[in-house]
Amino acid sequence: MTKTKKKPVSVAKAARTTIFYVFVVGVVVALLLPLYFIVSLSFLSTREAYEYPLPMVPALNTQFKLEYGKRGYLLSVYDRVEGGFETVLDTKELQKMSDYMKYQLATPMTLEDIEQQIAKLEEMQDVVYFTRRRNLLSNYQSFFGVAGSEAVPALIRSLQICALTIIISLSIGGMAGYAFARYAFKGKDLLKFSVLFVRMFPGVAIAIPMIKILVGLNFYDKPIGLSLVYSIGNIALTVWITASIFMGIPESLEEAAQVFGASKARSFLRITLPLALPGLAAAAMYSFLGAWNETVSAIILTQFNPTFAVIVYQTVLGAVGQVNLAAAGGMAMALPAVIFTFFIRRYIRQMWGGVTI
Amino acid sequence: MATLTLKNVTKRFGKKVVAVSDFSLEVPDREFLVLLGPSGCGKTTTLRMVAGLEEVTDGTILIDEVDVTDLPPRRRDVSMVFQNYAVWPHMTVYDNIAYALKLKRMDKKTIDKTVKEAAGMTKIAELVDRYPSQLSGGQQQRVAVARAIAVKPKLFLMDEPLSNLDAKLRVATRTELKAIHDKTEATTVFVTHDQSEAMSLADRIVIMKDGGIVQIGSPDDVYHRSASLFVADFIGTPPTNFMDVELKVENGDCRLINPHFDFKLKPDHAAKLRNYGKKKLVLGIRPEKILLVGEEDSILAAQCLVSEPQGSHQIIAIELADKIVKIVAPAHPMIESEETVHLSFNQEAIAFFDSESGLRI
Repeated sequence: MTKTKKKPVSVAKAARTTIFYVFVVGVVVALLLPLYFIVSLSFLSTREAYEYPLPMVPALNTQFKLEYGKRGYLLSVYDRVEGGFETVLDTKELQKMSDYMKYQLATPMTLEDIEQQIAKLEEMQDVVYFTRRRNLLSNYQSFFGVAGSEAVPALIRSLQICALTIIISLSIGGMAGYAFARYAFKGKDLLKFSVLFVRMFPGVAIAIPMIKILVGLNFYDKPIGLSLVYSIGNIALTVWITASIFMGIPESLEEAAQVFGASKARSFLRITLPLALPGLAAAAMYSFLGAWNETVSAIILTQFNPTFAVIVYQTVLGAVGQVNLAAAGGMAMALPAVIFTFFIRRYIRQMWGGVTI
Repeated sequence: MATLTLKNVTKRFGKKVVAVSDFSLEVPDREFLVLLGPSGCGKTTTLRMVAGLEEVTDGTILIDEVDVTDLPPRRRDVSMVFQNYAVWPHMTVYDNIAYALKLKRMDKKTIDKTVKEAAGMTKIAELVDRYPSQLSGGQQQRVAVARAIAVKPKLFLMDEPLSNLDAKLRVATRTELKAIHDKTEATTVFVTHDQSEAMSLADRIVIMKDGGIVQIGSPDDVYHRSASLFVADFIGTPPTNFMDVELKVENGDCRLINPHFDFKLKPDHAAKLRNYGKKKLVLGIRPEKILLVGEEDSILAAQCLVSEPQGSHQIIAIELADKIVKIVAPAHPMIESEETVHLSFNQEAIAFFDSESGLRI
């Protein structure tokens, strides 16, 4: 009796659990699939990237078949999707063959190596199979190679801009946040809200006056110019984050330090600042991500010295027929942000845990 | 050890709010002084001005006859225990206690010795390596006290240090605080709104109201010789009972008349009241000074409203002229609700207050 009674309950429970996990898995898949797609794409060769259906993972090796063809030598590669060899080239020119291997198949072979294989073919009179290791990083190499001399300096510029933006918005925003948290003054609430007003204007809308001002300051097309522009919006955010953090740290901690022999400045540096570190780290992360990812203003406000985001943007636009290259650029763009966030996450977690007094 | 003098100290916030007005006080060496008053009376502001955490609008503060009014807190040689303890959460207990000593540039050996001494005195010696978040509220409070005594200050300031502890711990800790004070003999200013805390700790109590001093005196003074209606009402649980009375002089006898009673005053009271002149007065009497007597000696009879047994005694509530009057009586015999009780006043303990100014006559 009890068994029959219990059964519908457990079925309902099982159904609920199943639906829950299906839902969870669905969400995880929806989140991870695009990420997986772009990571995998950035390692594919150009030929693989345009196959249908798309390979799930990049091949580690390329299998070649070499025969005599009508015009010279017939080169075939093993196609994992079709499950057989597919002819890709019929040529006498070895340089052309080498270029094709390097750029389309991401499997570089030297001319001597190719000549050796042809010699083997002539010995055996019929057909030669051989396998060569794929260069998995070829997209990244050509991204930094094609974008050429531009990508690396742009990367350095972007990092400079990020560092400057963090310094400017954290020092000004942090001080303002402290003032908002500790002092009572007239028009405090209005002022605190008004710092957010600057975020209402899209960068494009006020681009022309911004260019004029930056040119006037002699900051146009320089990292400092862009970091100033980015700081405007980030200061607002920093003020709010740090104000709430400083409010969470009792003033009496600082006062206690003052009573026990510290000056006002020392009590701030020794007591309040270390306790505010998680909040400051969070604010720094927002500033970094904001400055690192921003593209629109960067396109408008730079000319000969673009940021890394601009370079990636140009690659995505310019590399028609090269999605794998664009994917590599995207990955190169995302990685520093991921690394930065990874190092700072310890503090963020502390912040969500609250300042423990 | 030191003396503290406040001369006409005034604190205004903005233009209108007066937190402390014209406050003058002298605290001799080694005294345990308690500032007592309801919240918002300016007691904490006064303490913070002594510490240097609040600017003084007007007046002077002297520690050991040296004017410290405009000195920053760190140059006043005082230490303080805060209401929320204010122990630094990112430092171990040891570092919390040692921090002030390091700032004084003591050498490591002396610091170590002093920290251990202070930790031993406050019974936290085995906790010195922990962080405050690993401690209970009571232990954090001990850290705050240890930190304050380690610096051996001229002046020891405490801002409601016990109010965040639970009731039982509060009573235990205040006994220990008193013991520590006896050992260190540091001049202490202690702020509280809890009158029983004040009574049990203080050498002298300063009762404050609306930014001014109402009465300064020993616990015995403020309890038995309350200077005003406010003090008589504020000190003691249950508080003093007040009754509106009228003075009547008849053939040389002074009688006090109330709708519920009418009795003859003893000569010393009578002489005082006759000289005072006014007829309408307020009679104040402590609950334990109203006596349960036999019918023949009683000056009034009333029905018991409720009786609250307390073990060692009982508290009886009666209603007189729409006011609840409480009586502290011996535990036996038990008085039941609605039982009629016959009461008399201990005349030596009666206080009279001016019905307009509220001051003691």
